[in-house]
Amino acid sequence: MQDEHIPQEDLVLYAMQAMQAHELAAVRLHLEQCADCRRVLAEVNGDLAFVAMSVEQKPLPEGARQRFVERLAADPSGASKAGPTHVVSIKTKRPTRSAAVWIGWLAAAASLLFAISLEQRVRVLDDQLAQQRRAAEQQATANARAQQVLAVLTAPSAKRVLLTAAKSKPEPTGRAVYLAESGGLVFQANDLRQLAENKTYELWVIPADGTAPIPAGLFRPDAAGSASVLLPPLPKGVPAKAFGVTIEKAEGSATPTAPIIMVGAVPAAGE
Amino acid sequence: MTELFDQYSGMVYSVALRVLKDPGQAEDVMQEIFFQVWRNPDAFVAGRGSLGAWLAVMARNRAIDALRRRRPTDPVEDVVLASSSDLGSEIERNRMMERVREVLRNLPMEQQTSVELAFFEGLTHSEIAAKTGDPLGTVKTRIRSALITLRKAITA
Repeated sequence: MQDEHIPQEDLVLYAMQAMQAHELAAVRLHLEQCADCRRVLAEVNGDLAFVAMSVEQKPLPEGARQRFVERLAADPSGASKAGPTHVVSIKTKRPTRSAAVWIGWLAAAASLLFAISLEQRVRVLDDQLAQQRRAAEQQATANARAQQVLAVLTAPSAKRVLLTAAKSKPEPTGRAVYLAESGGLVFQANDLRQLAENKTYELWVIPADGTAPIPAGLFRPDAAGSASVLLPPLPKGVPAKAFGVTIEKAEGSATPTAPIIMVGAVPAAGE
Repeated sequence: MTELFDQYSGMVYSVALRVLKDPGQAEDVMQEIFFQVWRNPDAFVAGRGSLGAWLAVMARNRAIDALRRRRPTDPVEDVVLASSSDLGSEIERNRMMERVREVLRNLPMEQQTSVELAFFEGLTHSEIAAKTGDPLGTVKTRIRSALITLRKAITA
């Protein structure tokens, strides 16, 4: 899979999340390494965006906006992010009453009404102009950023590095050592999350020939979050493309259940 | 942020409602998406193609996650859209959406069904094949053909 591009049909299914769980891992692995397929996937996502946006517009439930505003207000981490309140300045010169008071109340009232009407019209136009200017600026910025992102993603010289969040709670990791000839597998994992009583972790061998993942043992972490699987019963002579770990019901499963919480590709020969 | 909400919340809610068919759940999805944008605007917004298009895809994906009652399957940073989904003005957007609706309406019925089941009902291709009685390959081809037709219409 890593040498051959993913068929567009499969990328469409991947973008729609319409793949089987065991197929997802292989596509994800390939996408991490293939800029061409990432570009095609971005195009497919663009097409799907049109499908989504074509949905008939429905009015928001009553109070939805207020609930959102209240949620923002209650969020301490975002308190400083409140956007500027939009203030529209009215630059129209207010009509002044002429010193010639003898012109008559009727003419003065008409002028005043006209001025008020004009002021309201200016306010509306000013609002519309500001709104369109903001939309255009946002669009231009978004376009420029999208181009820059694509340029970085598709650059042949780009270095790809996996980073993990620097959290106080370390992320789970696992190491698998596999000897295909004898079907020997040693797996050790650390920093695993504790599971409910009716759940277990399950290790999977993902064969290189694209056939279904092979269950390679159930395990639960000890108090320190560590666990290991030693020499589970596996068929001999099955080259692996990757290994994955899923969470299954306590008795295990014959097929992996999404999501795959850990996955690792077998390095290509020479790496 | 409220301006962003005012501009896109209707679309995000409508997409989620189309998938979930439940106003309460659809609002939950919408609120969560905008709240995440609020909490982390750089990671969620910048450089992912058109903001509206990106929000539409996020709304659909998060709604499908809610439909399947599972945690989010793809981190938002994995969702990148090509710039072809950028639409300038609201007028242009409305015109384009009308064209997209027309294209989808005029697709062969079996393609419409496949797209509907995969995109709006969140079925996998295997589930679609089982439901329609069609071979897996046929299901894949129908969905892809529908998107090819759509892209031709968009870029025409």
